[in-house]
Amino acid sequence: MHPLDRVFESSARSLAKRTSRRSLLGSLGRILTGVALLPLLPIDRSARAQTAGGAAKPDSNNPQSCEYWRYCAIDGFLCSCCGGSSHSCPPGTQPSPITWIGTCHNPNDSRHYIVSYNDCCGKVSCGDCFCNRNENEKPMYRLSRNNDVNWCMANTEADYHCSVSVILGVAEK
Amino acid sequence: MRPFLSRVTILALLGSTMLSAAPLPPPLPAEHLTVEKLGQLSPHWVYVFDEALLNEIDMRVLVFDGDTYRRLGQIGTGFMPGVNLSPDGRTTVVATTYFARGGHGARTDVVEFNDNTTLAKTGEIVLPPKHAQTFPMLFDVAYSSDAKFLYAAYLTPAASFGVLDPVKKTVLGEIDTAGCALVIPFGPNHVASLCESGRLLTVTLDAHGHEASRATSEPFFDPDHDPIFVQGIRTVDGYAFLSFLGEVHEVDFSGGKPAFRPPWSLVSAAEKGTWRPGSVQVGAIQRTFGKLYVSMHQGGAGSHKDYGTEIWVFDLKTHQRTARWAFDTHDWGAITALQVTQDRSPLLFAATERADLVVLDPQSGKAKHVEKQVGQSPWLLMSP
Repeated sequence: MHPLDRVFESSARSLAKRTSRRSLLGSLGRILTGVALLPLLPIDRSARAQTAGGAAKPDSNNPQSCEYWRYCAIDGFLCSCCGGSSHSCPPGTQPSPITWIGTCHNPNDSRHYIVSYNDCCGKVSCGDCFCNRNENEKPMYRLSRNNDVNWCMANTEADYHCSVSVILGVAEK
Repeated sequence: MRPFLSRVTILALLGSTMLSAAPLPPPLPAEHLTVEKLGQLSPHWVYVFDEALLNEIDMRVLVFDGDTYRRLGQIGTGFMPGVNLSPDGRTTVVATTYFARGGHGARTDVVEFNDNTTLAKTGEIVLPPKHAQTFPMLFDVAYSSDAKFLYAAYLTPAASFGVLDPVKKTVLGEIDTAGCALVIPFGPNHVASLCESGRLLTVTLDAHGHEASRATSEPFFDPDHDPIFVQGIRTVDGYAFLSFLGEVHEVDFSGGKPAFRPPWSLVSAAEKGTWRPGSVQVGAIQRTFGKLYVSMHQGGAGSHKDYGTEIWVFDLKTHQRTARWAFDTHDWGAITALQVTQDRSPLLFAATERADLVVLDPQSGKAKHVEKQVGQSPWLLMSP
């Protein structure tokens, strides 16, 4: 099996454990759409501060706070503090086409959502609002669950700038 | 007031006259600009890797003397490198990435060799643009036991590794490790990789650095419920891998294939799930005295990267905890990395989230020195 196939097989298996077939298909469709629209890869340069470095107060509904609910396994500088948003890259950067997938609980509707942690690439570190959370994060040998690697690795411009958390769909149990 | 001022004025004038009359000391001699020499390598030098979180294209290694508490110099390491020491301790090897125009432009991946007696770069090997850019660990780039081969982990995200000749400075080949990652060398010609299934893949090389055979072990840990940290800690005959919940998986690499010892636990039944190992470099082993030092914290699931608030010490023969030291997180911050030297009068080093480097007595846990602000984010400590 081609190594790349293994990576995506692993991602698919992880998703299957957490989702129904219908939601899995829906999520995969969104992923494929996202792959078509976005650049291909996610990576994270691995950071380990415990809270956001910015001035935002802890708030599970504030995209500039490390406690924002959809950042439950993000590791990096929050793009929402760097000219982007929780799901958009700052101007002049390039989204990573590859990424890793997590599942976060939204306290506002009590649903679990599948999110894609993409990196935004091609400029040096944003340096603001560093955030490291690790719900269900796994070490590098389980790459599809790992937030330690530079997901800009496959970009033409591979420097890491910041990270986003893009909702892919509801994780139905 | 006037008479008083007059007296002061007179005294000042007198003093000035006396000063001008005093012979001047000889002028300072002319100086010659020189470069400091390091002298003999010391087992008490520690190589402090700084992730330089705010400017990650500019990571570096600081060399620090644990006896004199002097900062001896620096090695530049580029963007998200792997770093390691040669078996003889004389070389710091760096597998890294540079961009042609600072933060952008053409990517060049390269292995650089630095002489630890001068801190000068002595050579390089240009790699394919596949170097595994990840957080610091000792299994990103590493030497064979006889230093004839050098291995560099690749990730594109397909996993493989490069086999390099560190003497001729050439790339000998690339070996696919599908489903497994990183390079854990043992012996002169074996490389193990950690697999997502909880197994170890072992690739054996021929004399030319090409794959001769490969074998996969049975699972030795549970990657779903209790994963191991990838920061293996060197033991007398192999490596110890700590799990998120505090199990110790010792792997004997002294033979031709890895042998797995029964796992044992850092925590009691009451502590399990509440006290956990964590940080970036989770522990260190003093091999002569058989002591394991672990960065521990209180936390639940998902806290495996939380920094340590205590150091727990274990006897590797009895598996008993022999000490438990609270770390002064108020003054120093929590622990990001631990290392201990391997000589008979060892030093224990702890790097912190505030970028301090604490030198400790490994017998008592007492701090001998705190070096403030050794960088931005010291996440890995290396010792020969």
